[in-house]
Amino acid sequence: MRQHPAAPIAVWAALLLMFGLPVQAAPDYRLEPRQIAPDTWLVEGRTENFSKDNGGDIVNVVFLATDAGVLVIDTGPSRRYGEALRAAIARVTDAPVRRVLLTHHHPDHVLGNQAFADVPIAALAGTARLMADEGDAMAENMYRLVGDWMRGTEVVLPDEALEPGVLAFGGHRLRLLALQGHTGADLAILDETTGVLFAGDLIFHDRALTTPHTPGIDAWLADLDRLGALAWSLVVPGHGPIARDDGPLRQTADYLRWLDRTFTEAAARGADMNEVMQSPIPTRFADLPLARYELIRSTNHLYPRYEGAQFRLLAPAP
Amino acid sequence: MRVTVCGTNCRAFTKMCRPTDPSLGRATQARASRGWRRFAVLVLAALAGGAVSAGEPDPLGSVMWDYHHERLLEGRPYVFDERVKVMAPPFAEDARQVPIQVDARALDGQIERVLLWADLNPIPRIAVFQPGPEVAPLLAIRIRVEQATPVRAAVLTRDGVWHVGSSRVDAAGGGCTAPSVVRAQPGWEDRLGQVLGGRYPRGEQSRLRVQVSHPMDNGLVGDIPEFYLNQAELRGADGQPLATLELFPAVSENPTLTLQLKTDQPAELWLRDNNGNEFQAAF
Repeated sequence: MRQHPAAPIAVWAALLLMFGLPVQAAPDYRLEPRQIAPDTWLVEGRTENFSKDNGGDIVNVVFLATDAGVLVIDTGPSRRYGEALRAAIARVTDAPVRRVLLTHHHPDHVLGNQAFADVPIAALAGTARLMADEGDAMAENMYRLVGDWMRGTEVVLPDEALEPGVLAFGGHRLRLLALQGHTGADLAILDETTGVLFAGDLIFHDRALTTPHTPGIDAWLADLDRLGALAWSLVVPGHGPIARDDGPLRQTADYLRWLDRTFTEAAARGADMNEVMQSPIPTRFADLPLARYELIRSTNHLYPRYEGAQFRLLAPAP
Repeated sequence: MRVTVCGTNCRAFTKMCRPTDPSLGRATQARASRGWRRFAVLVLAALAGGAVSAGEPDPLGSVMWDYHHERLLEGRPYVFDERVKVMAPPFAEDARQVPIQVDARALDGQIERVLLWADLNPIPRIAVFQPGPEVAPLLAIRIRVEQATPVRAAVLTRDGVWHVGSSRVDAAGGGCTAPSVVRAQPGWEDRLGQVLGGRYPRGEQSRLRVQVSHPMDNGLVGDIPEFYLNQAELRGADGQPLATLELFPAVSENPTLTLQLKTDQPAELWLRDNNGNEFQAAF
């Protein structure tokens, strides 16, 4: 029997109608806030790199849902994430969002701002400056890394400058600390009412840390000393699982000291960057997600400083 | 007569030169034997004067391979050779400073010169390196990349064959057309030609590292014409050349170079830019 030339097309059309057209469904972050302390809700990101699969959902975002309204700490990697976060908050509480605090300027923490453009967005002055200088370039890079999830995302700058001190919100006493180790302007928040420390990216947990804007490992370690001296009973790292002890802090400090030692020793024996990037990674860090990837990045960010400290003047400018 | 020696056959040939290992599977031996036959056919074809044009395909499948083979390697015979190690990060964290390291010590003693390039750069050539007998064929350098690209080192051996090592660097790009960092620093003109560096013992050998203050303008940024270091020579105590380097403006601003001297003798690095400025530094 001769087939009608259009028959295969008709069959495919029927199949498509039965099983749905193969159009790309709008990506969905499926954010699920979970309560970790009184009024305190965590939206935990994955310990992965940015990818087209995760849409940049690799970051820990927190909100305080109080009778006086909601305070959000960081807004996530994209407009779509910010909107999903706002919808997730609305599933938890009827109280309106009153305020947003940003821990630092990195794109995974601030590119959801558009969804909160109707409330004050506050950050350290240094964070606002870094966002103004680098926000667009970082957003552009995020489009390259996670693709369509970013659609419609634009940088919204903070409209309020935070000073270190105490911020009262909905019955919580929030101590704001202006630190610098991760980006030069890092806000850490200690909720003195609940004992929860929101460390931003000054603390990574079970995920290799990132160093693109650090003023230096010494500055970062000094910040960790300060955080370690505070009284808290629960720590929310910027990336990775929360903890009731100082394990994440110690892991972060341990990793930073290892980086510092590795770069110092490599520079002293005249190693070039590729050799440093291939340095053996101690077992305790080797299994951290993205260990090699982040060592390669950190070598790029930091090793020139260690080389520079080693080099002597061989010839002055003529 | 032009002969392109196919690398597959060379590997097979090497295999045939080794004593036959009785533990080798029959399939392996059969493969080696087929390779041997192909090699023989190739040699016969070459002797007969027929141009063998089907070179070994590029393992990285670069669209630019044939072009660069013609232009940079003058269409001469080549093999892809794992003994030429090209180290590069899998991705460019900073497209203006991508570290590349070439190690051809496995071919030491047979080397005429080493040519480095990045296939897809607007200025593909990076450097031509001629290590003398007292300098190891090892070079580390940092480059700018404009987009994701294969990076190559081709080592010309005395028998006239290019031995090619490759690596691939992914990149967001823009490194060749980004505004100069050096020119944005106040007082950079006063530091022009300043050389920082050091000498680091490696057993009997010495690592030599330098960082030269120079903007390495490549002519692709703003209205700034090409202004870059294009020549370098490592010289011994009596001024005789130990190694020479020709540099191209794919090399990053404030070039950072690593060389390895096989002895502990005194050495000096002489540099010249395309404006005729000369600089000299003693290790």
